[in-house]
Amino acid sequence: MSQIPTANADWPERYYHLDQILDRPGPRTDEAFPAGDQVKEFLREGCKILVIGAGGLGCEILANLALSGFKDIHVIDMDTIDISNLNRQFLFRPKDVGKPKATVAAAFVMDRVPGVKVTPYYGKIQDKDDDYYMQFNLVICGLDSIEARRWMNATLVGMADPDVPETIKPLIDGGTEGFKGQARVIIPGLSSCYECSLDMLNKQTAFPICTIANTPRQPEHCIEWASVLEWPRIKGDLKLDTDDPDHISWLYGVASARAQEFKIEGVTWSLTQGVVKNIIPAIASTNAIIAASCCTEALKIATTSAPYLDNYFMLIGTEGVYSFTFQHERKPDYLIVEEFLDWLLEKQDIQAKKPSLSYGNTPIYLQAPPQLEQATRKNLQRKVSEIVPAGNEITVTSVSLPFSLTLKVEYV
Amino acid sequence: MDPASTSKSEQPDSHTRRYDRQLRLWAASGQQALELSRVLVISGSATSTSILKNLVLPGIGQFTILDSARVTPQDAGNNFFLHRDSIGKSRAEESVRFLLELNDSVKGTADTSDLASILDERPQYLKSFTLVIAHNLRELTLKKLSSILWGDISGPPLIVVRSAGFLAEFSIQFHEHTIMDSHTDDIPSYRLDNAFPALAKHALDLDFDALDVTDHAHIPYFVILVRALHDWKQAHGGKAPEYKQLKDFKAQILRMKKKEDEENFDEAITQVFKAYQKTTVPSEIRALFSNPSCVNLDESSSPFFVMLHALDLFTRKEPYTLPLSPKLPDIKSDTVNYIHLQGLYKAQANAEKAEFTRILEEVVAKAGVAPVPSSVIDEFVRNCHQLKILKGKQWDQDDNSALLEAIATNPAQVGTHLALSALFAFEAAHKRWPLPGSEADLAVAQEWIDAKLSAAGWNEESVVQDDGTQVDEAATGPQSLTFREHVSNAMGEIIRAPTADLPTTAALLGGFIAQEAIKLITRQYVPINGVCVIDLISSTTGTIKI
Repeated sequence: MSQIPTANADWPERYYHLDQILDRPGPRTDEAFPAGDQVKEFLREGCKILVIGAGGLGCEILANLALSGFKDIHVIDMDTIDISNLNRQFLFRPKDVGKPKATVAAAFVMDRVPGVKVTPYYGKIQDKDDDYYMQFNLVICGLDSIEARRWMNATLVGMADPDVPETIKPLIDGGTEGFKGQARVIIPGLSSCYECSLDMLNKQTAFPICTIANTPRQPEHCIEWASVLEWPRIKGDLKLDTDDPDHISWLYGVASARAQEFKIEGVTWSLTQGVVKNIIPAIASTNAIIAASCCTEALKIATTSAPYLDNYFMLIGTEGVYSFTFQHERKPDYLIVEEFLDWLLEKQDIQAKKPSLSYGNTPIYLQAPPQLEQATRKNLQRKVSEIVPAGNEITVTSVSLPFSLTLKVEYV
Repeated sequence: MDPASTSKSEQPDSHTRRYDRQLRLWAASGQQALELSRVLVISGSATSTSILKNLVLPGIGQFTILDSARVTPQDAGNNFFLHRDSIGKSRAEESVRFLLELNDSVKGTADTSDLASILDERPQYLKSFTLVIAHNLRELTLKKLSSILWGDISGPPLIVVRSAGFLAEFSIQFHEHTIMDSHTDDIPSYRLDNAFPALAKHALDLDFDALDVTDHAHIPYFVILVRALHDWKQAHGGKAPEYKQLKDFKAQILRMKKKEDEENFDEAITQVFKAYQKTTVPSEIRALFSNPSCVNLDESSSPFFVMLHALDLFTRKEPYTLPLSPKLPDIKSDTVNYIHLQGLYKAQANAEKAEFTRILEEVVAKAGVAPVPSSVIDEFVRNCHQLKILKGKQWDQDDNSALLEAIATNPAQVGTHLALSALFAFEAAHKRWPLPGSEADLAVAQEWIDAKLSAAGWNEESVVQDDGTQVDEAATGPQSLTFREHVSNAMGEIIRAPTADLPTTAALLGGFIAQEAIKLITRQYVPINGVCVIDLISSTTGTIKI
């Protein structure tokens, strides 16, 4: 079963370029960096990496990882290849249209980069359990779906036990739109995670239903009318398949007729498809930048040859090259109890000295007596959200407070 | 009617389907420019093939890899467009073969000639390309290449790319780069402060009070503002509201409401600046009119400057503005009112475009240039509020005062730039690359930087920044480091891996350079103007003007 390739597949000087950074540290490399054979052996034989998505970012990520010396790569993707993928998903050819992305990508990379093992899984990330994800050292996500990202993030955060370092699987996440993109490193349980930044997402344009039904002004309003109102009315239970060109053609026809009736210009086949599929423009070059950025971080984490991104890289390529590297902060729902206590002590208007915390009858952290302090001390490192469900109250008692204070907890 | 049968023929062809995700960015005009382009890439390094991959996929017309080298075992290890079986064969031929697999409609040529002899014997070879890209070219050859290309004002732009290990930089050499569709978010003026006659008539003829509550709530805010401004002027001796009277003007608009919840009037309040801000030719556009290429036309003038000249003439006449944009934003209204308003704008915009075209025809005749196709005139007029001209400079003509300024604002980027420059200067002086990890070579490179800095007039005291200097914190990373420390960190990193073309760095550069190449070729979006420095240890980029 185990066919993990060994150094035998290599040829002399194969890693001439990479070995320059693995054989010696640079000025900013951590002192613990095990330069030379030790780090190369881990990278090329010990490290197991999972790639989620074999699309625009995934193809790039797989090729980069293989050339970087990762030899045990797994990839999950539930999609098949479409002709519109070929302008950027460079491991696929016209003859591959209709085949599973994961399988074709894996075979291509193994053929081009000898000695690398890429194990594809054609299916959903939700098909796999914690035991499966536990086998990897690192996970890289190149997805276009917010839902899938949230699932993956939640799964890895859920698996992470701060006392058992092996359970913490760094997650590197990339995303692109046109000339823009971002890459980030999530250390589950320790850094800001995907949930902490949901508010940074662009909201999808939603048109009020009364505009669509009564007062259309834009071609998009006519298209929404065709897909949201007319399709179910006329087609009944037939599910709209936005990948079926005949379905798009039908919507286009209906939307065009409505536009003509209202003298609205601009309904085209392409716009119809763009609106109903919520198409995000995508190009090879931006995917290359973001995928390379993700893989650079993977290489740095796996080898400790340089400090890794802490924790967010944002790129805008429309006007020159503008990028912003910053530490995205954790949202308060991942506050640990100790941080919550610090916050409480800083609040001048509360004036609580040595506060004790409880949730209903359950003590969270008690300052006294010493036995109870000791018994509840372990809670200091737990997340507030694990102990207190949203909308519930934390009771604060303190010798300096003449009453007990209750704070309602909301997670945003 | 069966809509499906009537629209079958409208389904996109395979070319459109393949390029759908990019046509939504740069449209058919950008795609056509790409398909007519010819790109020369010098060397078949991993970085070079990564760049080409991202240009072959979106469908450039033709590319050439110029490289006389044979594939080494090292090349086969870091380049996805070579294979172990390629070792010993021509590097140009092997990588062209693998790259061509990506797109049947692209043509590729492997040229195994020696660059030095091309530069000496037949430099006109370079003229046939739209763009030249050079990765890690030796200093002396690059100097010669850049000066030949600079010497020919109509020659192709040159993208210079340098990298070692985790560090890299690139810059573009061009005299001038004109952009018709810069895709900025700048919004054109809708001229509500000075309504064109048909719009004014519509707003004044409308009997607001006679409308029922439903129709009243559907008056587009454009019409509300034009009317409100008219009424204000009537009451204030013909004068528009001044900034300090804004509160009163808003109150006047709110008094026009029939019901509290009329959202169109609320929209008029949030957009009120459109009514009192005077429509003029934006200063950035006016500045373009004094460009010598715009002022002095001759038969070699490009369509851009011929049209810019005509635009200048257009703005010298009533109403002293740019041609009106035909495109309206979405406005709270009903269909009939909105479509009517849209019709007024389209008619006026068409009339002004016709006037512009008339002026342009005179200019074309006088200058003796070829007529401009109407599709190009459309694009120009549609985007005339966001035209751009970038002024470039010759590669390696660092200006000392700009260098000192950049040290103050972007010390980390300048440090990396100097370290990469020192690497190539080392090779030029010693006819070899530094050895990885060599303390002796590090000292030599460091000396080169010291000499460069002292020639520029830099000393430790100049670290103290003037109050006016802005440090670009986003790009510089930790502020605790001094410029000296940035330089020595970068130099140390370069000596760690002086000849490493890391696959990940190559892939990243492949993306960045292809983005810039696409912007140059399509004349859409805005390319960098300066040196873009990349540090993959701190995961930062920053562009310095030096």
